[in-house]
Amino acid sequence: MFQFLVDVLMRACDLMLVAIGMSAVYSLMKFPNIALVQYAATGGVLAIALQKAGVPVGVAIIFAVVLTGLLAVILNEFLFNRMLKIGSSTAMIGSLAVSMVFSAAFLVTVGPNPSRFALPVSRPIRILDARITEPQLLGFAIVAAAIGIFAFLYFRTDLGRCMRATSTNEVLADATGIDTGRMKTIIVLISGVMAALGGVAIALKGEVDSQVGMDLLLPVFASAILGGLGNPFGAIAGALLISAAETVVTAVNFGPLMGEVAAFLPVAYASAISFLLLVAALLWRPRGLFVSEVKRV
Amino acid sequence: MKSILLSGVFVLGLSMAAYAQEAVIGAILPLSGSSATQGEDQRRGMELALEKINAGGGVLGHPLKIVTEDSGGRTATALDAAKKLVTVDKVPVILGEFSSGITIPIAQYLLQQGRAHINIGSSSTQIRTLGKGAFSVIGLDDVSGTFAAQDVFADGARKVAVIAPNNAYGQGIANAFAAKFKALGGAITSTVLYTEGQTTYRRELQQLGAGAPDLYVYTAYGKESATINRESFELGLNDKKWYGLYLTMCTADSDPQYVEGQIGMDLNYIGGNGADYQKAYEAKYKGGFTSTFNGFAYDGVMLVAAAINKANSLDPQKIETAIAEIGKSYEGATGPIVLDADGQRGAQPYLRLKIESGKAIATQ
Repeated sequence: MFQFLVDVLMRACDLMLVAIGMSAVYSLMKFPNIALVQYAATGGVLAIALQKAGVPVGVAIIFAVVLTGLLAVILNEFLFNRMLKIGSSTAMIGSLAVSMVFSAAFLVTVGPNPSRFALPVSRPIRILDARITEPQLLGFAIVAAAIGIFAFLYFRTDLGRCMRATSTNEVLADATGIDTGRMKTIIVLISGVMAALGGVAIALKGEVDSQVGMDLLLPVFASAILGGLGNPFGAIAGALLISAAETVVTAVNFGPLMGEVAAFLPVAYASAISFLLLVAALLWRPRGLFVSEVKRV
Repeated sequence: MKSILLSGVFVLGLSMAAYAQEAVIGAILPLSGSSATQGEDQRRGMELALEKINAGGGVLGHPLKIVTEDSGGRTATALDAAKKLVTVDKVPVILGEFSSGITIPIAQYLLQQGRAHINIGSSSTQIRTLGKGAFSVIGLDDVSGTFAAQDVFADGARKVAVIAPNNAYGQGIANAFAAKFKALGGAITSTVLYTEGQTTYRRELQQLGAGAPDLYVYTAYGKESATINRESFELGLNDKKWYGLYLTMCTADSDPQYVEGQIGMDLNYIGGNGADYQKAYEAKYKGGFTSTFNGFAYDGVMLVAAAINKANSLDPQKIETAIAEIGKSYEGATGPIVLDADGQRGAQPYLRLKIESGKAIATQ
């Protein structure tokens, strides 16, 4: 049972930071930036590449995350801001196109094989009936810390107040003297950094390859929409729900019903469940499970 | 239309006649992708064969040439490569690939085009039914699955779980193994077929462990196998014994610490007169064999060269007849190769291996 919880959490950690970033960007920019899943991949791939080049793991991670954040700002400045002037759907399709370019670029630079950090072999630690390794724990810690810092920024600082004001009513925020353009750049930077940290956490727990970003797309989207696009902390609940659903689908043993020792649904069905939840959410709760504050104003 | 076809055949005939002196054959290998380690090893076997043939005067009086294409471990890429080899290089014979899921479609395409195909690395039982013009110098899985089931049963395991890739090879060998193991009186707790090319197999492995088996039987391509071995270690599944089908393929890319103590079966890749070949390999590549598959690539090229010389022609049909003729009894580096009526290697010796201090050691 505890193993089940660990699996849900582990999967949720893959999705959470990217989903929060996507929701946060949406709250200010009013378009879901699909390229965020590729910022996650960039974070992981870059950190691994830097470590291979001889940089110590910690430094490699920090460099990769900062570089990815800057990349997010640059792409936003030169591509997405311009596309947004045409329309939010143009920007969304544009971000999908950019994602495909990323996938192709990874294929050319790092090749089709998965890569991982060169870490010493660590014996799994037993906690109740679950087993977990140190790098996996580190991945958890990174995700938890990133969420904590983001929450502090968002709710407890002037910067956060300005961001929330901008997302609630941009014109009014502008009129009260908030530099809304700067707020947008900051939220893009933060979302890029969050996504990259998410990618680093994935890389620490296992491996990344050129497809890791696109594989994240559907579950991350489903998490962000379930949590209510524009509600960054709703995305956490969304990610937990998607992960729980995926894990239930593959972990329920139908064997006893069928008179066999073990009978499971094929693992490929796990991605079908996030599709189903996405469709259900769009039909019945298009604004997410929680009605966001943004909409009430 | 008919006349165009006829003239096409005529032009083709002419062009073949024009190149009759210099023999060029094709190879499609996974030089990148999850089986890149084995693909590179196959290429080494071919390189050694080429050196030996050309040192001995070549084929039809000229040096033999091999055009090698990379499949990337992907069926679509491999098919494109096959089309290129047939239409641009106009080769009469193509050797390859490694994964059964890729070998079968390229062989089907080649047979349609009237070219010969030599399977040097795949073992799916479906290869037997491809038809005339398809040959295998490697034993298929009806033989290997039976060998493994007897071996696992003799080792004392009665409840086993099986994990294999979800393709022609994986399904074939999992079924062959299960059928024989059940016939012996054992039980299969669960069979998991995994989707290739993922970055994690945690979920599959947890499903695999659910039936509490005495032993895990697994087979996976190099880099996927590395992930499976690491994650089974992390999940504690390696408390039980692991038995690898084609063990050296399963362990080639894995960290030695994860696979220490694993047992398994593999091809007996060196026959009675393979010693010279082994020496040549070790001298050229500074070390022992990286996989068990290089010898079959070597034998495939040697067999084709002998057949072209015997046929004294580059016509695919004549080469096929010559291969069938030579294949009645051919002594290869991997042991005696006797092709049956379907063009498949009839008997294939296997080895029982154990990983000790990072090396695969034969045990009996």
